Amino acid sequence: MREAFSLMARRGVFGLAAIGTVGALALAACSSGSSTPTPPPSGFNKATTSVVNPSTHKGGTITFDNSSAPDSTDAGNTYYAFNLNFTRLYATPLTTYQSCPGKCGAGVVPALATSLGTATDGNKTWTFHIKPNVKFEDGTTVTSQDVKYAVERTFDRSVLPNGPSYFATLLAGNAAKYPGPYKDRSKNLMGLTAITTPNATTVVFHLNQPFADFNYVVAFPQTAPVPPNKDTGANYQNHPLSTGPYKFASYQLNKQYVLVPNPQWNPSWDPQVKQLASKIIVNLNVNANDIDNRLMAGDIQVDQAGSGVQAAARAKILSNPSLKANSDDPVNGFMWFYYINSKVPPLNNVHCRMAVEFAANKTNLQTAYGGPYGGSIASTAMPPTVLGYKSFDLYHALSKPGGDIAAAKQQLSLCGHPNGFTTNIAYRSDRPREVASSQALQASLSAAGIKTTLKGYTAANYFGTFAGVPNYVHSHDLGLLAGGWGPDWPDAYGWGWALFDGKAIVPAGNANIGELNDPQVNKWFQEMEAASSQAQRNAISEQIDMQVMKDAVLLPAVYAKALLYRGTGLTNVNVNNYYGMYNYGILGVNQK
Amino acid sequence: MGTFIVRRLIATVFLLIIVSMVTFAIFFWLPKLGGQTTYGLATQYVGRNPTREAVLQVEQQLGLNRPLYLQYWHYLSAIVVGEHYNAGPVTAYCPPPCFGYSFKSQQPVWPQMVSDIPVTLSLAIGASILWLIGGISIGVLSALKRGTIFDRFSMGVALAGVSLPIFFTGLIALELFSYRWPIFPNVTYVPFTQNPYLWAKNLVLPWVCLAFLYAALYARLTRAGMLETMSEDYIRTARAKGLQERTVIVKHGLRAALTPIITIFGMDLGLLLGGAILTEVTFSLHGLGLFTIEAVQNQDFPEIMGVVMLASFFIIIANLFVDILYAYVDPRVRH
Amino acid sequence: MAEGESPAQGSRAGGRPSRLRARDRRGPAPEVQATDGAVGESSPSAMLDIRDLRIHFPTDDGLVKAVDGLSFVLDRRRTLGIVGESGSGKSVTSLGILGLYNTGNARMSGKIYLDGEDLVAADQARVRELRGSKMAMIFQDPLSSLHPYYTIGNQIAEAYLIHNKVSKKAARAHAVDMLKRVGIPQAASRIDDYPHQFSGGMRQRAMIAMALSCDPELLIADEPTTALDVTVQAQILDLISDLQQEYDSAVIIITHDLGVVAELADDILVMYAGRMAEYGRSEDIFLHPGHPYTWGLLGSMPRLDRTRMDRLLSIRGTPPSLINVPAGCPFNPRCDYASRTNGRSEKEVPALRQVGPGHLVACHLSTDEQRRIWAERDKVAS
Repeated sequence: MREAFSLMARRGVFGLAAIGTVGALALAACSSGSSTPTPPPSGFNKATTSVVNPSTHKGGTITFDNSSAPDSTDAGNTYYAFNLNFTRLYATPLTTYQSCPGKCGAGVVPALATSLGTATDGNKTWTFHIKPNVKFEDGTTVTSQDVKYAVERTFDRSVLPNGPSYFATLLAGNAAKYPGPYKDRSKNLMGLTAITTPNATTVVFHLNQPFADFNYVVAFPQTAPVPPNKDTGANYQNHPLSTGPYKFASYQLNKQYVLVPNPQWNPSWDPQVKQLASKIIVNLNVNANDIDNRLMAGDIQVDQAGSGVQAAARAKILSNPSLKANSDDPVNGFMWFYYINSKVPPLNNVHCRMAVEFAANKTNLQTAYGGPYGGSIASTAMPPTVLGYKSFDLYHALSKPGGDIAAAKQQLSLCGHPNGFTTNIAYRSDRPREVASSQALQASLSAAGIKTTLKGYTAANYFGTFAGVPNYVHSHDLGLLAGGWGPDWPDAYGWGWALFDGKAIVPAGNANIGELNDPQVNKWFQEMEAASSQAQRNAISEQIDMQVMKDAVLLPAVYAKALLYRGTGLTNVNVNNYYGMYNYGILGVNQK
Repeated sequence: MGTFIVRRLIATVFLLIIVSMVTFAIFFWLPKLGGQTTYGLATQYVGRNPTREAVLQVEQQLGLNRPLYLQYWHYLSAIVVGEHYNAGPVTAYCPPPCFGYSFKSQQPVWPQMVSDIPVTLSLAIGASILWLIGGISIGVLSALKRGTIFDRFSMGVALAGVSLPIFFTGLIALELFSYRWPIFPNVTYVPFTQNPYLWAKNLVLPWVCLAFLYAALYARLTRAGMLETMSEDYIRTARAKGLQERTVIVKHGLRAALTPIITIFGMDLGLLLGGAILTEVTFSLHGLGLFTIEAVQNQDFPEIMGVVMLASFFIIIANLFVDILYAYVDPRVRH
Repeated sequence: MAEGESPAQGSRAGGRPSRLRARDRRGPAPEVQATDGAVGESSPSAMLDIRDLRIHFPTDDGLVKAVDGLSFVLDRRRTLGIVGESGSGKSVTSLGILGLYNTGNARMSGKIYLDGEDLVAADQARVRELRGSKMAMIFQDPLSSLHPYYTIGNQIAEAYLIHNKVSKKAARAHAVDMLKRVGIPQAASRIDDYPHQFSGGMRQRAMIAMALSCDPELLIADEPTTALDVTVQAQILDLISDLQQEYDSAVIIITHDLGVVAELADDILVMYAGRMAEYGRSEDIFLHPGHPYTWGLLGSMPRLDRTRMDRLLSIRGTPPSLINVPAGCPFNPRCDYASRTNGRSEKEVPALRQVGPGHLVACHLSTDEQRRIWAERDKVAS
């Protein structure tokens, strides 16, 4: 869910606006009283551990504003974190995440399926039974064929390019060559041979490798059923046929879409979502700072992007007790960090990399990412929300958050550069936090003699053209590269495969920017998916985390937190542990 | 006059072609010089961690792997004859003028722009009426009362108006009149056909902020123009004929002083029609300006190209209109 | 050129009587009073009676005394030529008469009697009423003095409509009439032309048409021919003369060109540094001028009736500042004959003294001395 952070870019672009806002809010600050240090008010963070304003009240309108737009409203064509959360209102995948306060919220439970998948053949074959009598909004009954079709259509990347690629890499049979149903010229239009539908309510997935985490894979909305005869391809986003509590009433690309209750829906189809409000409006491409103001003024109820308020509103909220009581600062499952590339000299020597790990001033990095409310100092390669997480601190990030220059210097002698070395720090220049953090990093590294030059790139092509292109990284000596990451699902594989597995390195759009190709780590990822018990998988996760940190290809900065504001009148407000933001499936509003 | 217009229209087409070439070059050719590959470019329009096949498919669909001149030719011909597009189960036809399909949303660009035009139009025309009336009257009064407190004060305020950026005045206006005292709550664009009252009410803050900026400029321009015109000989003649001072000022003085202002106004309006970017971003109005920002941020080439061409068209037409208007207003130019 | 003929356009049917004869028909010149600031009743036949007119402008650098004690009388059907160099106050005088300084920060004092009515004391609305209707002015540069954006017809009709309640159509017809009167061919079609579409001479005619559209009794022409070709100049002067006869108006011609004045003026007023230097009938001024400045002006003028001189005599020095007017005679610094006044020129402002019937000079030199000096100069020059 890297793209979620591209939203931050759009917010940050008018940093100019921030200057103006500071001025504008100076007016506001004058009236909101001084910030006296008091213990956190009782409402603060309440939604991270419990459901705030629980209610079964039906009616009212919930307005969502978003500073950009979803990558697509077509559930089969999306990857943004908030949209995986939001699409459940009209698209029901086979499984989903539990609507439950606390850690249980990261657990995957059946949605369209009657129960979690049955794994056979050493986790290579997965069978799901879908609930009978589930209907689309037009009254037609959902069959297993619709689920198969939904997955098949995502194979045509020329029409639906945005979603995850797990099905393409995991499915056996003709998946590697399958061009999608629009271009399928095979005999009898067999489609994907790896998905079989023995009857109208059974779907069987045949994988090319053992994959214990497959229940997570089908939690992606790509498995939400789509009727083949109503599929309009690139235009399906205008009105996806709903199997959830809401259906599309109107859609204006990049401007607004409106959902109204789906009369066909039955709560038994997906117990994790509710049908409470009588209208849901989503406004797109709204000024980011304006969203915060509208939230606090009560004009809207939710910031759809869910990645937290802007700097100006943050200051306002944290200094005003009554505003703070209405806000939550959850650990949202993301991390900010710096990749340490293992091919660019002299960082190809692990000790030089370790020197960087020791030298960095974690407190200053934390400040750059928003201070204690923006995240807590990280010392591991995986965040605490990931199953199997165990805290450890190889490089004194927690014990010496100001940096350990002595240890850094020791590592420098070990790698043959006792007086330091030079390299470059790459970052996204339209993200104010990354600008600040790279400056902080540069300063702290220079204390150990590591001289760095800052190189900024635009967020839009950061991964496609620069940091995500290994050739470019090598030829431009980008030793340290800013990054952020969110998990595809809350375990080590869903978090780290793309970041740390050698097979994940690709010539462009690469996420394993450290270019780690540790055979042991690669083997562990494989073993994880072959392991049958969660305990085994947790043990492997710990090992992966530890080894990655020993390989020092990641300099963790913070486990991200997002300061969220609860909209006026919202009911059933709870931060879901996996999505890291308010659970959009259960919201209602105290309005008529 | 007829041949003049025809010649200018032909020149317009040429100019637009040049604009399209430059935009195309900036988007495709410059990054290439900087080392970007079409594969790398295509990864921007795919979800994260795409497979190689996925990227290649996208590359193909967007036509990125074709030679640049072919891509350009295809783009231009689509504008004239339309384009058939692979939308999945069906092939969509995009009638002329077809500005292609968005790289990001695979939806046609032209209908998006068309739906954004009324917003920018409302914003630009409403603000322009305000600033013309406000700016010119203050400019005239200042010129007539040169040196008085009124003059100094209004020119001081005008200086502030010209110097304060719209994202400052806009945010202050929102903070005060939308949040602190909810006189204009929830500023969003409401189409005129849907609710004229709300349409106007929601546009008041953007109109005033935008008009303030320009009114300041026009006040200063009008003042300078009036001062110059009122010292001309024909003003003395007008007075010598026994005309009322009011008539001298308006019919003789202002008429002459306004001529350059009219031309500047035409240019300003043309530019504004291409998208009042800062205003639209500040107030979240979905006009061509906001469309431009989204397009650039998403690196969505067809959208960028479409809005650049449209904005250029507005500016060129505004120029043409201003030239014609000038000939109409100033008889000396005609002969 | 042949008298009475205008080569550029068809002459009027039947030719024209010569100027000299035309002037004779106006009747004898009235007695000119030597006014020395005394305020009293205006003379009964005078169209314009100026008494001790002062026009001062306060500026950041000081008080500019543009006109400082001007007095003269002008009757109907007579032409006064006001002569002087730039800065002598001639244009300021005319603008002051028209009341165009009334809304500015000029300080005007004295009396301006227009047909018995004091314009200085009158309120602005009244002066505006008279402006354009009873008294009118034509300006030096017709191109810049006519509004470039309105047709000639529009501007003439406007002038007419201000003072006459008639329909637009009637005003337009009147404008066509006026254009015909001033001798513009195809007046009915040219009425819709813009000023820049006229030649210089035509433009000046059009301006004259505009000024005369309300039949004013006083016409002030400020350098009417300075911006025109020599050939056209004569036509314009003829035109002014004819129209004056036709309309029975009083005319003031302001110029620095003595040739123009010789053509047209009955009386001449020579101004220097905002004051009168000399005043008298035009024959007197030309044949026996009394003021050294006038001598200088005449001396610097090329004349056909003299043998060619090697060079023109110019007046040495420069015009004085109107803020710091030197004490004594303002011409003193440039006067070749100041030494003959026994120092009075430096201390005492010379009063206007009558040196002949209707001939006034402001100079310390005695009348005899003046005559003697002039005779010498004249002889030298021939």
